[in-house]
This record gives sequence, structure tokens and C-alpha cells, in this order.
Amino acid sequence: MDLLSFITAASEAAEQPTFSLVDINADTIIFTLINTGIIVLIYFFFLHKPVCAILDKRAQAVNKDMEDAEKARTEAQAVKAEYEERLEQSKEEAGRILSEATKRAQQRGDEIVSEANAEAANIKQRAEESIEREKKRAVNEIKEEIADMVIAAASKVAEKEISAEDNERIISAELERIGKES
Amino acid sequence: MQEISGLIKNAAEFTVKGPLQSLKFNIGGIEVVISESIVVQWLVIIILAVIFFILGRNLKLKPTSRRQMAAEYIVGFFRNMVNDTMGVKYKKYTVYIGALFCMSLLSSLMGLLGLRAPTSDLSVVATWGAITFILTQRNKIKTGGIKGFFKGFVEPMPFMLPFNIIGEVANPVSQSLRHFANILAGSVVGGLIYFALGQIAGGLASIGVPAILSLYFDLFSSFIQAYIFCTLTMAYVSMAECD
Repeated sequence: MDLLSFITAASEAAEQPTFSLVDINADTIIFTLINTGIIVLIYFFFLHKPVCAILDKRAQAVNKDMEDAEKARTEAQAVKAEYEERLEQSKEEAGRILSEATKRAQQRGDEIVSEANAEAANIKQRAEESIEREKKRAVNEIKEEIADMVIAAASKVAEKEISAEDNERIISAELERIGKES
Repeated sequence: MQEISGLIKNAAEFTVKGPLQSLKFNIGGIEVVISESIVVQWLVIIILAVIFFILGRNLKLKPTSRRQMAAEYIVGFFRNMVNDTMGVKYKKYTVYIGALFCMSLLSSLMGLLGLRAPTSDLSVVATWGAITFILTQRNKIKTGGIKGFFKGFVEPMPFMLPFNIIGEVANPVSQSLRHFANILAGSVVGGLIYFALGQIAGGLASIGVPAILSLYFDLFSSFIQAYIFCTLTMAYVSMAECD
């Protein structure tokens, strides 16, 4: 007994009528076509469409997020650059101010020193001048005194009519005295 | 030899039937016979509708549920399958391929519930083969025009015409027969094993042992056949493109 014959025998023997095992039945084809169409529609409307919609929405959201992040990044970079520039500027400014102040202080110090030097020189010069003057005055006074004394001595000599030796002795004594006094 | 002939003698009690004629009714004098396959397909439609509805509802922009991950995975799977096999320009076929895959897979898996798998009915699978054939010819006309369509049959040489025609028809036929025969053979082998094991140890052997084979013939084979059928459909349709 070969396989096919017992298959057909079996299908004939069944109580409920069956289709043959390898047969193409028009009704089945039509209904399968309808059912396949229904499943395509079910798949499309229940699963494919909502999932694709959410995937597209997510892709959009991700794109937007990435764009936003990129924008924020460029903005942050711009701000950073600006701050760096400002910092650099203020550093320069500070340096400039400091050097200026130093320069001015140096200048002022130099000025003060030179002024002081000039003043000192002035004072010194004036002091020297006054010393000189005093000295001259003293010498003059001495000269006058000497002259007076010489005159006095001379008159004394003349009064006493002393000899030449006496004269000389008196004058030298007188001179000696003056020399001691001065 | 003795053993085998003994097996065949026992196997004479094992019967392989075609699908039952479940319902019969008249519409305007035309008798319509609803096959068991169609009844099971209705069950498949209900199950798929429930599954798709549960998977596809209340989707969030930030997926939190495994349900949504599964839904996105399934849709992504079919989308990638179509994009990889056919190219992005055929992406509108994703819906048909996805639905076909789910229907084929679930139809075959109905065997696990003890029902007759609709895919073990040649009429069902032949319908899908016919759809493939129509889609293929449609794509040929669409890309090459009527002229290109007819020209395709006489290339590379005019004497190739009969072979080309046979080739065009053979593709969906072989595709359908492969699917149908695999699932039918799976269920026949499964039934034979049940039957044979039922003869041993007073039927106790039929508990547990067929599960391993069922894993291959029902689960693996169902998945593989659905995948092959869809892949072949995609390949035939996209290859039909006229340059």
C-alpha cells in the first residue's frame, strides 16, 4: 500500500467531508485573499502606522534636541570667547594702569629727589655765601680794628716820644696782642 | 526489514486528511464551502488583531514599557528586512510583508494548538503565491512599461520565451509548494510520531518526548518558512525590476 492511496482512502473514510489534501479550492482562495487583506489592514492600522508615527516623532524630537544642543554649544562658545576677550582686555588695562602708576611714581620720586637736591644745593650755596660774607665782614672788622689800634698805638708812641726801639717793641707787642685776640 | 514493515502495517491506521469542509451555505444559488483553513484563519485574525492592538496602542515618545519596545522591534524588523532585501524605494511593501509574515507564522503555529494549520492547505499558500506573481508582473510593467514587460520574455534570445514564461510561473509555484509541503510534512511527521509513540508503553511515551520534535517541526519550521516565503516574495518582486 503506497502513501497516496492510503491518504485518499483515509479522506474517503472520514465522517465529515474534507477537501483533498493537495487541491486548490476557489472558495478557500477567495476567503484567504479577503483574510490576508484584513490582516494587512490590521497590521497597518494597529501596529505599523502608530509605531512609524512615534518613530518619526522621536526622530524629529532627537533632531530638534541635537540642533538645540548645537545652538547652545555655539552660544556658550561665543560667550566664553567674549569673556576671555574681556578678561584679556582687563588684564591689559590693569597692566597699563599699573605701569603708568609705577612710571608716575618713579617720575614723582625723581622729581622729589631732584627738588630736594636742588634745595639742598641752594641751601648749601646760601650758607657758603653767608659764611663768605661773615668771613669778609670779620676780616674787614679786624682790619678796621687793626687800623684803629695801629692808630692808637701810633698816637701812644707819638705821645710818649719813645725811641725807635721802644716804638718797634710797642708795635710788635700790640700786634701780638691783636693776634692773640683774634 | 521486518521491523519497518511492521511499522507500516501499524501506520495503515494513521490517516492524513485534507482540511475539513467546516461550513456550507448558499449565497444566491452559489454554494460556498468554508474550509477548516478559513475558520482557523479567522482565529488568526482575531489573535493578531488583539496582539497588534495591544502592542500599538498608547505609544510614548520616550518608551518606558517592554510592550512598546516589542512593537518597535517588530516594525523595525520588517522595515529592515524590506530595506535590506528590496531597497528603500520599495518600503511601501513593508506593510504587506509584515502582515504576510505574521499571518504565515501564526497560521503555522496554530498546529501547536492542535488545529489544522492553514498553511498546510495548498489553496491558502497558493493564494499568497498568486499575490507574489501579480506583484512581480506589476512591478515589471511599472518599471519597464508594457514594452519592457514583453521584451523581458524574449531576452537574452527570442527562443528563450517558453523558458522565461515557465520561470515566471515556476517561482511562485515553487515558493507556495515549499511552504505548504514543509508545514504539511511537519504536521504529518508530528502526527506520525505521536501515533508511533502512542503504540509504545501504552501511550505513555507520547508525553514529553514529542515536545523536542515539535520544537523543530512546529516552532522553528513555522518561523523559517514564514521568513523564507517573505524573503522570496521580496526577492521576486524586486528582481522583476526592468533596467
